[in-house]
Amino acid sequence: MSAPAPGRQRSLGASLLDQVLAETLDPAYAQAAAARAERAAEPVAGAGRPSWLPRHRGQLLVALTLLLAGLLASVTYQEAALGAQGREQTRQALRDDIREESEATDALVAQLEDLTAQVGRTRDQALATTVTGQGALTRLAAAEQGAAVLAVSGPGLRVTLDDAPPPADSDPVGGAPEQNAAGLVQDADVQLAVNGLWAAGAEAISINGQRVGATTAIRQAGGAILVNFRPIAPPYDIEAIGDSEGLPRAFLASYEADTLARLTLDYGVVFDFARVGDLDLPAGSGAELRHARPLEPAAASGGAAGTDPTTDGG
Amino acid sequence: MIPILGLAVGVVLGLLLDPDVPLWLQPYLPIAVVAALDAVFGGVRARFDRIFDAKVFVVSFVSNVVVAALIVFLGDQLGVGAQLSTAVVVVLGIRIFGNAAAIRRHLFRA
Repeated sequence: MSAPAPGRQRSLGASLLDQVLAETLDPAYAQAAAARAERAAEPVAGAGRPSWLPRHRGQLLVALTLLLAGLLASVTYQEAALGAQGREQTRQALRDDIREESEATDALVAQLEDLTAQVGRTRDQALATTVTGQGALTRLAAAEQGAAVLAVSGPGLRVTLDDAPPPADSDPVGGAPEQNAAGLVQDADVQLAVNGLWAAGAEAISINGQRVGATTAIRQAGGAILVNFRPIAPPYDIEAIGDSEGLPRAFLASYEADTLARLTLDYGVVFDFARVGDLDLPAGSGAELRHARPLEPAAASGGAAGTDPTTDGG
Repeated sequence: MIPILGLAVGVVLGLLLDPDVPLWLQPYLPIAVVAALDAVFGGVRARFDRIFDAKVFVVSFVSNVVVAALIVFLGDQLGVGAQLSTAVVVVLGIRIFGNAAAIRRHLFRA
């Protein structure tokens, strides 16, 4: 290692770098060696060769320091290993919790569907026995269609919204790439797409498998978008059933589609759409009995109970 | 020979005893280890250069570890802890590489 040529003008930064690069060894060693050589050169009265003890003391001191170094290194290693293990355990526990709770929710949803179907069957049987009931049944079927509690299928349009991909120059060191908050899909964006589809003549809409009914709310809680109070994750597939020619044309000409396209330009939000020949939309679960009154005093046989039958056995 | 024995005993002791490190000290351990490595490599190189001095080694080791931890601590208080850690690691890393290269030249004559 050679020191930079003296007397040459260097900038401060360059000289700092030179110093760091050239002076890898503590200069104190050279100084101590020079001092030792000086001491050895001048004759000291009463002392020839240094005795064994000082030499030994130095070695012991070095050994002690190295013991400290070893201790430091192994303790740090263990802390790091322990920390990683603990993080992994916590993550695993959280993952298990999420899976368990999701399974419980799925089971409850399945149970709810079963019970709802059962209630519907019982109701249909009860209604089918009387003429007034049959009239009510017809009206009910139309109402159910409108309330999105029946599964439907047909041709339509699939609109996909997704968060903007992370910028290419983001620094992924030390974790997940930084997500730009402006590029995230907001609840208002999903609302915009859904409203645009309704206005364009959609007959039924679902978002990531959640059917949008008359009482469906699309809103945001924390970072997640909730539809029917169930969190949905990007990408958001908004499927709309409607006229296979008119629906896409009307939607793409709408103000809403224009706004979404501008979001893509300004913030990189992913906005895609495709015409789909056959869409299957699931039934919504919004069939809560809120109001009931007897049809006529004689025909009412317990059908006017104030309780909500769908909440039984939940 | 005794120093190397000391190092081995230290590593084994640390692994066996598994001492509890106080929480406030834990962020400074990695940087202290890097500083200790720098001092150890410096010592080994000085030994090959035949200018090794026990007192200089011990003092440089202790001061290296303390100063590195102190710089990072200060940075944490000022809100630039991560950047200062990077600075310490870069400077010490360069020194470690330089000393390792010198040791290699001594050992292999290449």
